[in-house]
Amino acid sequence: MQFNIKGSFYRDKSHEKLTKKIVLICFSILLMVLFSYQIGKGSYYLRRAQNNYIRIIPLYSLRGSIFDRNGIVLAKDQASFNLAVFPYQIKNEKNNLFKKISKDFNIDQEIINKNYKKNLRGFFSPANIVTNINKKEALKLKETYSKDLFINPAPQRRYLRPLDSAHLLGYVKKASSLQKQFKKYGYKPLERIGIYGIEQYYNSYLKGKDGGDLIEVDAKGNVVGFLGRKRAQRGKDLYLTIDSRAQDIARQSLAGKKGSIILLDSNSGEIIVLYSSPSFDPNYFIEGKNLNSIYKNKDSPLINRAIQSSFPIGSLIKPLLALAGLEESKIKPATTFDCKGQFILGKNRFGCWSTHGLQNLYQALAHSCNVYFYNLGLILGPKSISNWLKKFGLNSKTFIDLPYEKKGFVPSPKWKKERFNQSWYAGDTLNLSIGQGYLQATPLAMTLAINSIANGGYLIEPILLKKIGEKEALPVFKKALAINRENINIVKKGLRKVVSQTSGSARILKNLSLEVSGKTGTAQTSQRSHGWFVGFFPYKEPRYTISVFLENGGSSHQAVRTAYIFLNKLKQNNIIK
Amino acid sequence: MNFLKRISKEFRGLKTIVLSVASFNLISITSLYSSLHQQGQFVGEDFISKQLTWIAISWIVFIIFNFINYRLYYNLSFIIYTFGVVLIGAVYFTGHTAMGAQRWISIGGLTFQPSELSKIAIIIIMARFFSHSPANSFLKDFCLPFSLVGLSAFMIFSQPDLGTAMMVVLIAFCLGLFSKINKKYFILVLAGLLITAPLGWNFLKSYQKKRLTAFINPNVDPLGSGYTIIQSKIAIGSGQIFGKGFLAGTQNQFNFLPERHTDFIFTVIAEEWGFLGSFFLLFLYWLILKKIFDKLKKIRDPFAYYLTLGIGIYFFLHIFINIGMTLGIFPVVGLPLLFVSYGGSHLISSFILLGIFFNISRNYN
Repeated sequence: MQFNIKGSFYRDKSHEKLTKKIVLICFSILLMVLFSYQIGKGSYYLRRAQNNYIRIIPLYSLRGSIFDRNGIVLAKDQASFNLAVFPYQIKNEKNNLFKKISKDFNIDQEIINKNYKKNLRGFFSPANIVTNINKKEALKLKETYSKDLFINPAPQRRYLRPLDSAHLLGYVKKASSLQKQFKKYGYKPLERIGIYGIEQYYNSYLKGKDGGDLIEVDAKGNVVGFLGRKRAQRGKDLYLTIDSRAQDIARQSLAGKKGSIILLDSNSGEIIVLYSSPSFDPNYFIEGKNLNSIYKNKDSPLINRAIQSSFPIGSLIKPLLALAGLEESKIKPATTFDCKGQFILGKNRFGCWSTHGLQNLYQALAHSCNVYFYNLGLILGPKSISNWLKKFGLNSKTFIDLPYEKKGFVPSPKWKKERFNQSWYAGDTLNLSIGQGYLQATPLAMTLAINSIANGGYLIEPILLKKIGEKEALPVFKKALAINRENINIVKKGLRKVVSQTSGSARILKNLSLEVSGKTGTAQTSQRSHGWFVGFFPYKEPRYTISVFLENGGSSHQAVRTAYIFLNKLKQNNIIK
Repeated sequence: MNFLKRISKEFRGLKTIVLSVASFNLISITSLYSSLHQQGQFVGEDFISKQLTWIAISWIVFIIFNFINYRLYYNLSFIIYTFGVVLIGAVYFTGHTAMGAQRWISIGGLTFQPSELSKIAIIIIMARFFSHSPANSFLKDFCLPFSLVGLSAFMIFSQPDLGTAMMVVLIAFCLGLFSKINKKYFILVLAGLLITAPLGWNFLKSYQKKRLTAFINPNVDPLGSGYTIIQSKIAIGSGQIFGKGFLAGTQNQFNFLPERHTDFIFTVIAEEWGFLGSFFLLFLYWLILKKIFDKLKKIRDPFAYYLTLGIGIYFFLHIFINIGMTLGIFPVVGLPLLFVSYGGSHLISSFILLGIFFNISRNYN
């Protein structure tokens, strides 16, 4: 089959020859270069290949340090010394060598073997056989076995106030000890990765860049050439908003208890204290100690109770409900309900913890009168309550800069229908109105909900980061709740009476003369009740918001006591003014 | 029987190519097998079976393209070009990232690099433009075709894949030099590129910059890009005349050489089979290129003429630049060795082009 192409096709006859000429010339160039490499300098390259004991000696980067708001070091890298061998060098004499080292230096041969197997990366990469020894010991070993061993220093993470800040800082682990998934993301096996807390959240800033020395050694292991160095780059330092002195006081105040203490700047959202009890020592993970005391502890010290679990909130719901009632014009401050010690709904009695008589809003908040809020709850209805609680963020994350934050839960009639295929009863509304039943919130989310009363109606995204290196962290995100300022002031006044009135449920805090306002909460559970106190001070223009949560603490009295101890010590140490 | 006779007649003179390419398949698998050893142990079963699949697919594709009349591409050239550009665009949305670059589209477990296809599209559309004569208009005959090349190259470059982008431009440029377009246009553009090249530096990714500086001085980054070139040279040189023998290449087996089964497969061959092996490899390539360029004098259709030239140029550049790269003559840009490197996209593309050439060849016996 041929095509008849219109017109004559002018074809350059030289093309065919030209193309072949070009190919021949270029191929000749390649052959010439090949000739010069393989035949001209062939024996030179062969020697280099035979002696190509090129070693990469890693230069580990340092992770950035972590400081508190006053520049006190919380975490930093320290040098640790390891002894390493090159697998290709000791191939045949491995067992003898290990036996000798184990005998001379009284180290179990089992451990040496285990370390060797664990740290074996490749034929020409150093493998640590003795880890974490002091410099003196390392030098001694090196002297005796100069031919086979060398000192392989590596940075090690150290937490200087371990128990205070364990949940905040988290800890690091070598990528090799984690699941294989990290390899996929290009982590090198010896690279340290933050796997909890700030170490995880800001890992990309904290981690540096590893470097290495490329050296050439001969068959005997003598260095014959230095091919180059890539310097390690240090990671960035982080400054937190935490005050480590206050953090220490929080730990003392919660000693022997389960729970959390949070102290934050009411307006900026900076977290000054965030402590969860019981705590753990993150250095255990670094040093490879036995972790049974952490993992098998039935009080789950690894859980950060302030953000990783949610609890029923009890009476802490009352100021939020009061605001809802005022905003929806269902009540006025002067509106009263009569408390006869109980509320009767059909055949059921819903109790109050005392008989308060006629109560207006201020009194109801000060006395934490259940009957008042049963009435208010029924007037508002479950849908409206549910919406208001969601508005205050009780069922969402606070987006604090820590990993693994959990959400709370706000029930609604629709949810109950879908979940249990049951209708929502008026009894459910009554339970919800005093913060019982299905409602749950994390201590931090609860603190921020009350904080929005302190700062005049803003739900704040809390933050732990103050500076990265020299760079200030960005201001936090504030969400205006669009609540009438007057209504906020009414509730604020009510919360002040909780402390200032002689019959108020947190009256002992009056002795601090910090002008604390706040709300107590006792949340009943199947076990002992949880105790809560969330408040802010000074009353007129709040600067600080504080929360104390005691898991199974018995009652709010304990929480208020703890708050008293905590704030009193802060005051004595001039940490708050 | 008549049919078979006709076929065998049409294929006369093409047997050399078929045999050479089949040899390359064999060389590819054996050197792949060797390069996938680590300290004497074979570690790459998946790779071998995948590559065998690709080779089988490639031969089927080759046979199909054998029977597609090449004039079809003349009519479809704009559609093919647009399809190529759209595919590259599609990588942005569905593509799968490997080593910091987004180049692959995944089809049922096998991944495919659409930028390879656009090399073919460029050859076809350039052949169409250059087949028109006379070609005196600067805008219509020079600017229009090369702006299409520019668009393709830019899209590939932003994936980012500097090697393929440069290849697209280079193929079109070389092909253009054989066309009837006034040569001074090319000189003009070349001068313009040289002047603006320093500006282009800013658009390169950091790893591409590193590779280019390491090419100029490998010791700048001996642990990184320069390392590959140093090790490649040691490996090739140490092969000497006869090579170290199959599976005996110490350089490649002890992990000294990264990417040795893809872009640096030639290094493995040169180390294990020495100068003689390298010479034989180049000789096989020469046989194929000679057959292709020999055909030029018989072709009567300008479109087929430029298509054949383009295919020859494509093959030649892939051989020359890849081997030159392993020898340190060219920077490491990430370019497979024709018919030999591990990977399916370039293999299929090469076989498609070979199929097109066979069809042309049979039309002008």
